[in-house]
Amino acid sequence: MSIASLTKAWQPMSYGFLDASAKRELRRKMLKAIAVPGCQMPYASREVPMARGWGTGGLQVTLTLLKPSSVVKVIDQGADDSVNAASIRSFLSKVSGAAETWDTLAASLIQSRHRIPEERLHAGQILVLQVPNPEPLRPVEPNMSIARQMHADADYGRLWLILYEQIVRSGRIMEGAAYPSLVNGRHVMTPSPIPRWDVPKLHMAQHLTFLSAGREKRLYAVPPFTKVEPLVFSDVPFKVEDHGALTCHRSGVKGFYMNEIPQGDGGSAYELSDSHLGIKAIRQAEGEADRIGATWYQNGQSA
Amino acid sequence: MAALSQNLVPASVPVPDAFEARTNATFEALMWALSRPGTVQTLPAPGMTGLVEALVDRECKVFCDDPDLSRFVAFTGATLAPAAAADHAFLGLDRAEGLAHLEQIPVGSALYPDDGATVVAFARFGEGQRLRLIGPGIETSVEITLGGLVPGLWALRAARSCYPAGFDMFFICGTSVIGLPRSTLIEVL
Repeated sequence: MSIASLTKAWQPMSYGFLDASAKRELRRKMLKAIAVPGCQMPYASREVPMARGWGTGGLQVTLTLLKPSSVVKVIDQGADDSVNAASIRSFLSKVSGAAETWDTLAASLIQSRHRIPEERLHAGQILVLQVPNPEPLRPVEPNMSIARQMHADADYGRLWLILYEQIVRSGRIMEGAAYPSLVNGRHVMTPSPIPRWDVPKLHMAQHLTFLSAGREKRLYAVPPFTKVEPLVFSDVPFKVEDHGALTCHRSGVKGFYMNEIPQGDGGSAYELSDSHLGIKAIRQAEGEADRIGATWYQNGQSA
Repeated sequence: MAALSQNLVPASVPVPDAFEARTNATFEALMWALSRPGTVQTLPAPGMTGLVEALVDRECKVFCDDPDLSRFVAFTGATLAPAAAADHAFLGLDRAEGLAHLEQIPVGSALYPDDGATVVAFARFGEGQRLRLIGPGIETSVEITLGGLVPGLWALRAARSCYPAGFDMFFICGTSVIGLPRSTLIEVL
């Protein structure tokens, strides 16, 4: 045995930024997360050159998966061109040599803050959702040891109580984002603060989803073909946002999740939240060959 | 000074070394194997050593009943542990001894499901016992055949699994791998 056989040549940086031991730890936890869908697995959450709370959890999962042939798309509330998304995407390609894309259909790896693209993800694609607060029980149980025990007992009654109180007070369920959902009939997870519009996209999907919270140091997963059922009462059905009839003022596209833009006259204009879908629609209207893939929603209705 | 700053700037297009490329590809195969139970995924190299490289380091407690592989595992810095304390177990499930070890493998608990071990074993695909799988990762159901395994394995797995507690299994045949997470229900046909 020689020193040379125990050491490695000096490198300015590990491939994909994270060192090998960080990747191994993440790999072990990601496998456990897949094996128990929706169950939060603790992990070390290494330092990355970004402040916690800005997508470090998603970033670490993405960095572990990256290889030179990866094609990465990063979105922030549906937009590819926001500062956060653009910075993460350029960081990912700089440290790995992976290709960047805005096109949902071309991406092999999609890191997202709070949206799932409107075009259907296919088998082989991986969606990585950034999660600020992974614990669905936190509003009802701030003590995380007790919350863990509640998950172990599948004791989710108090989450239903919240929903019930909202109906009593407001006449409808007020959970706008991060709607608590039962995964594989066992663990309730928070699907990250995606709008209700996006929750059905996780149910029996073709793609693999990782959800990772860097600040809270927990990750969980939804494998393909896994049941994800929003918590509802049998007589009060789950409703997505009422965006089916809205039209995007830039692309003219109708029937998808919209951003509301307040206008000077007190009214609102709407634009597609999934910005690249809008770009594709505009290009198509201008006669360019740009393919829009199959979408989860058709004519504003879940297909 | 110029030379120093040149050294500190990473190459414009980073290239993974052989180890990184191999462990990344191994993990990708394992990830899809576990995500889609019953499908056959391809490892970059045959055998168990690739899995050891991709997953195991000095934070792990490993049980291994093959002395050659044990030496390889020890080289990663992992602690060699008895079966009852292992988080990763590389077992020979073609003999009754392997089954006795599997009986002691930690399954975690409802409180800490991540304490359930990862079990790796050799098997022969496409022959032997027919199994029907249902669960997450499987649209309806899928049938596979796994051979070269000791009888009683599936009864033991069923007896020791109490979801979300349980262990997750990888079966290796050459460069092929099949994953059976604890979430999969197995019907022995």
